[in-house]
Amino acid sequence: MYPFWEVPVWTSGIFIALIATFHILPSHLATGAFWFNVFIERKALKENRPGLLDFIKRYTLMILIFCFVYGSLTGVGIWFAATVASPRSISALIHNYVWGWATEWVFFILEIVTIYIYYYTLDKVSPKTHMRIGWIYAWSAWISMVIITGILAFMLSSDSWIRTGGFFDGFFNSTYWPQLFSRTALMLGIAGLYAIISASGMENEKDRNDVIRSASIWGMAGMVFGGIFSAWFLYKMPDAAKGLGLSGGLPYLKNMLYAAVVCYALVFLYMLVAGLLRPQLAGKTLGILMLVVLFLGIGAGEGFREGVRRPYIISQFMYGNQIIAADVPAKAIKSEKELFKDGFLAHIYFVPDGLRTITPENEKAVGHIIARHQCGNCHTFDADGKMRALPGLFTRLGMTSKDDIAGWMDAMEGYAYMPPFLGSEEEKQAVAAFLASKMQK
Amino acid sequence: MELTNYLNAMRDASGVPFYPVVFQFFLVLTFALHIMFVNFLLGGVVVSIWARIKATPNSLRLSKALARGSTINASLAMVLGVAPLLFVQVIYDPFWYTANSMSAYWAMAFLLILAVAFTASYVFYLSGSDKAPGASGWAVLALVALLAAAAVIHALSVEQLLPQMWKTWLISGQEVNASGKGLYAFEWHRFLHFIAPSIAMAGVYLMLYAWFFNGRKDYDRAYLQETATLGANLALYATAAQIAIGLWWLFSVPMEFAFYKNPFFLVGAGMGAAFFLFLMTARANPIKNAPVAALIAFLSIFLMSYAREALRMTYTGKVGYNIFDYKLSLDWGSTVLFLGTFVMGIVVMAYPILVAVQVAKNGKESNNEGLAKLATALPVVWFLVVAGLGIVISLKNGTLF
Repeated sequence: MYPFWEVPVWTSGIFIALIATFHILPSHLATGAFWFNVFIERKALKENRPGLLDFIKRYTLMILIFCFVYGSLTGVGIWFAATVASPRSISALIHNYVWGWATEWVFFILEIVTIYIYYYTLDKVSPKTHMRIGWIYAWSAWISMVIITGILAFMLSSDSWIRTGGFFDGFFNSTYWPQLFSRTALMLGIAGLYAIISASGMENEKDRNDVIRSASIWGMAGMVFGGIFSAWFLYKMPDAAKGLGLSGGLPYLKNMLYAAVVCYALVFLYMLVAGLLRPQLAGKTLGILMLVVLFLGIGAGEGFREGVRRPYIISQFMYGNQIIAADVPAKAIKSEKELFKDGFLAHIYFVPDGLRTITPENEKAVGHIIARHQCGNCHTFDADGKMRALPGLFTRLGMTSKDDIAGWMDAMEGYAYMPPFLGSEEEKQAVAAFLASKMQK
Repeated sequence: MELTNYLNAMRDASGVPFYPVVFQFFLVLTFALHIMFVNFLLGGVVVSIWARIKATPNSLRLSKALARGSTINASLAMVLGVAPLLFVQVIYDPFWYTANSMSAYWAMAFLLILAVAFTASYVFYLSGSDKAPGASGWAVLALVALLAAAAVIHALSVEQLLPQMWKTWLISGQEVNASGKGLYAFEWHRFLHFIAPSIAMAGVYLMLYAWFFNGRKDYDRAYLQETATLGANLALYATAAQIAIGLWWLFSVPMEFAFYKNPFFLVGAGMGAAFFLFLMTARANPIKNAPVAALIAFLSIFLMSYAREALRMTYTGKVGYNIFDYKLSLDWGSTVLFLGTFVMGIVVMAYPILVAVQVAKNGKESNNEGLAKLATALPVVWFLVVAGLGIVISLKNGTLF
């Protein structure tokens, strides 16, 4: 096991959650914006309205800075956060999908090169050439979504990969197409909202209102189709995920789904009223407020998708605590469940020599080390912890003693969303002793 | 558990999907490209600060051009950095993940510091007038942040090379430090060996800038000559400093490695020396010699990156780790997908770059119709092929409906 990073109160997962949620905004904008951009540019040329090109310049600069500074940084940030918070899971993904990510990287480079050239050659090359550069960007950016969706969907539904170990079997899994379609629709929704904000500052009223109306139609269409394809996604989710998310296995997940729907509905209404019907109402302040609402909706939606994966971080294959849960014969991978059942401590390198053998004097210290690895990815150990704090959970369950907790650990596998405790009886007692000691504080 | 057992046990159970030597090659190639743009960025910011403070009409113009270039170099450096980050995790995963987990807050801080650097670079560029960038304080902030980010990533890299120290750093008595707050290693010679080339590469950048705009009516000949001469001098003196720092680093490497005899090091150092000798003669006509100087500079970076990789293999070999015995789970399909896309990407990229070069050099584009059609069609073809493959596989596996 790698060294564990213990983040008090929140767990290290908070870093992934915050960075990944923020990243959705610039990444979906980067993938969706240029379809709208080339649409407006075409309109400007066809109707001989150079004023519309003012929008292109504003919008592209916003994309450049927001997506290719903060978007790129948070994209890399997800990797770094996963590296330090859940190294074995990101390693497993990388070792199976490295060529997928590398392929996506080629399209990243294309995006960067084309967007700068697109921005700096406006008015300097023929309209046809400029549009072509825009098209190359639009396709490249969207293809990066085509690729990353496969890896994200694999984490929820690895399907026949568990049997074959095949790259494409895992990639084109049962939730791939619904996710690709819903994300594609959503990216147009996000692009539409950004376009409204960007166009609201245009000086020519007719151009401004035309762009806002068009952006609203794109955005609303994105929202509607996003909703339809999301329903398809919910239908295609694995049964276990449906049990947790839709049938009340974990009630808060359903609430997150409702929250996402409410947020998207609010943004849809804004686009309808302040975009399509009364474009003069569109402004930066309200637009940015709607962006915050959309951000919350995305956060809730992504939280739902992540939540229904439990107890796995990679569907069927790896538990949330980074322990391999199943054999993958095609890759000669053995489940670690049997390996760790007789003793987990021996597989941790960073253990002080004095803690290698459990004694009554050191059991809490040993228990702490094992608990970090087996529980710490999802739970804090602090009484005032905010992220599934174990002292609070045990208090609510009325369990305060070492024996109570050890008994509960035996029953853990009965919970659909919990991985089993893997270790010897002695180690389990040590973890229970440690957790009980946290209750007394 | 012994260190060697730990390192080999932590290798990913999935194995690697293609021969490690291929990942190693792409790791070195993409790192060389990444570090070249990092050098352009860092050195460019230094020179733009100096030029902004000097405040003559020519220096302000140069400062503005460098400020603009910094924003582009920042984006390219970041995106190009993704690939080596990916490949290092494939073949050196136990080292990468251990070091980062030990210093987790620093790995997170690295991104925050970069965000500050890039924001300050953009403000420096955008807040000025047409003829000058904004207040130099923004560029100074960018520079300080870039150096801080370099220091963090350097420390994380050195931590990876010293696995025998990991337990000492992390375990104290009966306690295992899981705070992620420690940063445990720093080597000045190695750090400076990455910083000094920034000035040299900024010099090459200036030479290229003068060469590129030479002949354009809106670029004064004296201005370009002054810029190219400055660039050649910067490149020469910084390379001299780089050689001295390189020797300092070389003698700090454990003698048992006998790294001075390593063929990768000898070739890399030889190319660095060739670059120095070429610059001595190139100073006579820095505009004309700019492309050759840039080519030799990149070759030096590439070969020194290979030498750096050879040194890493030596360090990791001493603790019983060898990338070439990593478990192989060959996957031809995804390998072909990447290699095909890589080649396609170069073809597609050639078109917008060609247009940009034509416009910047001649003020207008030439006829590129054939390449234009090909570059516009290829991403669509790529999608159709992959989507077709996806539908077939989804139908075969019964996952589509």
